[in-house]
Amino acid sequence: MKKSLLLSAAIALASTAASAETLRIPHELGYGGSESLDPISPQRFYEAIQNMYSRLVRQGDDGRPSPDLALSWDASPDAKEWTFKLRPGVTFHNGNAFTAEDVAFSLMRTQSETIDSPTKGVMEIIDHVEVVDDMTAKVVLKQTHADFPLLVMDYRIKMLDAETCGNDLDALCEGGVGTGPYKLVELDALGTTTLERFDDYYGGTPGVQNMELIAIADQNARVVALQAGQVDFIYALSAEQVPLFANDPNFTVQSVPTGRWVGMVMNTTVAPFDDARVRKAIRMSADRDALGKLVYGKGGFIPTCDHPVWSGDQYRADIACDRDIEGAKALLAEAGYADGLTVELFVSDISEGAVKMAEVLQNQAKDAGITIELVQAPADGYWGDVWMKEPFFATGWSQRPTDQILNEAYRSTAAWNETAWNSADFDAGLDAARGELDFDKRKALYGDLQKELWENGGSFIPVHLNTVRAFSSKLSGIQPVEDFSIRYEDVTKAGSDS
Amino acid sequence: MTGLILRRFGFAAFTIAFVSLIMFAAVEALPGNVCTSFLQRFAQGPRLERCIEQQGLNRPAIERYADWVAGAVQGDFGYSLKKRKPINELIGERFANTALLGGLAALLAIPFAILLGIAAGVRRDRPLDLSLSGAAMLAMTIPEFVTATALIYVFAIVLQWFPAVTIMRSGMSFMDMLPNIVLPVLVLSAVLIAHIMRMMRASVIDVMASDYVQMARLKGVPEREIIRRHVVPNAMIPALNVIALTIAWLLAGVVVVEKVFNYPGLGTLMIQAIYDRDLPLVQAIALIFSVIYVGVNLLADLAALMIDPRLRRKAH
Repeated sequence: MKKSLLLSAAIALASTAASAETLRIPHELGYGGSESLDPISPQRFYEAIQNMYSRLVRQGDDGRPSPDLALSWDASPDAKEWTFKLRPGVTFHNGNAFTAEDVAFSLMRTQSETIDSPTKGVMEIIDHVEVVDDMTAKVVLKQTHADFPLLVMDYRIKMLDAETCGNDLDALCEGGVGTGPYKLVELDALGTTTLERFDDYYGGTPGVQNMELIAIADQNARVVALQAGQVDFIYALSAEQVPLFANDPNFTVQSVPTGRWVGMVMNTTVAPFDDARVRKAIRMSADRDALGKLVYGKGGFIPTCDHPVWSGDQYRADIACDRDIEGAKALLAEAGYADGLTVELFVSDISEGAVKMAEVLQNQAKDAGITIELVQAPADGYWGDVWMKEPFFATGWSQRPTDQILNEAYRSTAAWNETAWNSADFDAGLDAARGELDFDKRKALYGDLQKELWENGGSFIPVHLNTVRAFSSKLSGIQPVEDFSIRYEDVTKAGSDS
Repeated sequence: MTGLILRRFGFAAFTIAFVSLIMFAAVEALPGNVCTSFLQRFAQGPRLERCIEQQGLNRPAIERYADWVAGAVQGDFGYSLKKRKPINELIGERFANTALLGGLAALLAIPFAILLGIAAGVRRDRPLDLSLSGAAMLAMTIPEFVTATALIYVFAIVLQWFPAVTIMRSGMSFMDMLPNIVLPVLVLSAVLIAHIMRMMRASVIDVMASDYVQMARLKGVPEREIIRRHVVPNAMIPALNVIALTIAWLLAGVVVVEKVFNYPGLGTLMIQAIYDRDLPLVQAIALIFSVIYVGVNLLADLAALMIDPRLRRKAH
């Protein structure tokens, strides 16, 4: 018995040693094994599709769209027709050529009622796609959108092989045939999914021969797996986990800004929050830097002035929102609350740091004579019973580009308009920005909308969250960009064993 | 005798039925329902109505409970919306994994603990007993996640003898699985051994001081023979209940240990289900655990009946 144990331990060791040509990345098993290789499935297997498929355009280092499968694009003057010139000579993993037919197929299937993809709402802006020739696709929109390339930059809008998918717009396509740097060897979402380098990748030969996506659902388990050398990389370290790797020469720690945020929401139609002065007073009472450090730790955040556009977005406006207690008091007095104001804030453990943030805000607002009473709501049923039901409550959002987030959360008719923000001017501003083809003018328009939210809006968004990752020092070429944008084909792994 | 056994079975069945009712009621009492917890922010309008319709949530709770029980009795626990799979399918392989882990731990720990307990009891207050008892106290008081973390640190991170977390590959044989199981089984057995050993030791000491053992000694029966024929069988009876209780503890321990080691068993599935608010799955696993708990206690009762003739006679 003992001998066989030692033997198998030795085998385990040997297999670790043979991994120099394999990049091992954990995945968090978010869908419990029903992970799908269809990029637009609600259960999309993100770590796999990221490496197996390509987009028309990808995020450049400046946050603006840069060429991927499309080499160039231009719009008609009304920004309703977009013509994409495709990269010639690209082949899918099965040898099929990538053509405009595949573009039309991949874009139109996002609208399928049957698939009911999370991308459907956004992509419904497409009316139809014309195949001009093999290497040219013209996308015709239902309405003007000057930033349409940003929509197809979404990490889920990948190009699939129409033939492999049987040209069926209404069926999930889970064969895994893409044009990306890695091709599928074996899918085993509950265990280890294996990919291998695609030698005909149009971007050059990927840096590592094999890639393994290893199911580890628990973050602490992922941390020890990295420490024990069972994986090479982990995402989303918490503030407490960073010191485990920070001063160890065997590991590299990288902190990068993202568009995720946790915030507090005031319903702008319910007293006392129907008074813009009250909303601003509450927001002015916050010291964002101190709050961020207390809740997310030093280096865990980037301060923001109550609008949802994050620091890496090309349209982020430069606004100053220093703490101003006197100003807050003056606004409150003007609004008729010279003797102070008492409000209830509903909060729950729904997003990272939500409760802690509410407690810090409670403390900071005290100085301006604002008493915030915290009401702890259960996390179960929070999104149905509390969110958008109470006048003042916590919220959390994932990263979205400017146009998308402003339309989803602040357009008067939006389903998730959580502040009940109802401004015809704001809606008109959104439309104007969408129709403006000149980048600088468009940036100015989006900037005005962000300033409007800081002046009058109902959201308290003190910070955007950073994400911290750690990886083996044997890896090089991991770009300091958000998780979606890492180009794994550029990553290499040093061959020697430790 | 048969009546007695039947009564025990009946009582066990009643306990399980009662537990299932409480579990169902508890889930009902939570704010929201399966649909709101699955749809989260999308839980509004036609989408919510469609889901409620499909899940049959518009029917009265009694009816749904009856349906659920009827399904569970036939071994059908329903469907997990979150994971898009029948719950049976989710549970199947995981159950085998947990059984392997728990079974191996129990199989190794129980005989070993009994032997140690006898040794410590017979050599009461001598160095062997003192060191064993001390070690048992340590094993009982240190929570298993601490033991697990310490073992991972030493054997996986520093020495790198065993993997820190279980990584599953398709086509893994039992031999491939083995290195993954070593540390979790060690953690689980440590606590099992400590509990059972202490009970066995106390029980052996009791019996050693009893009149019939004194009598056997006076008769000149060799000490070895006394221990084998008189002490061990009599000391086993109280120890049996403790063994049943510790196996029941194993169910809770397995959840923690599986999570720490990323072991793909029922425990990790349950934690994931709770985290996802996947209520039907939580219900199903909780029911399975309660059935095992009740079953193990029932077995202990029956085993005690077999070993101890007095228990049989006491009943009418």
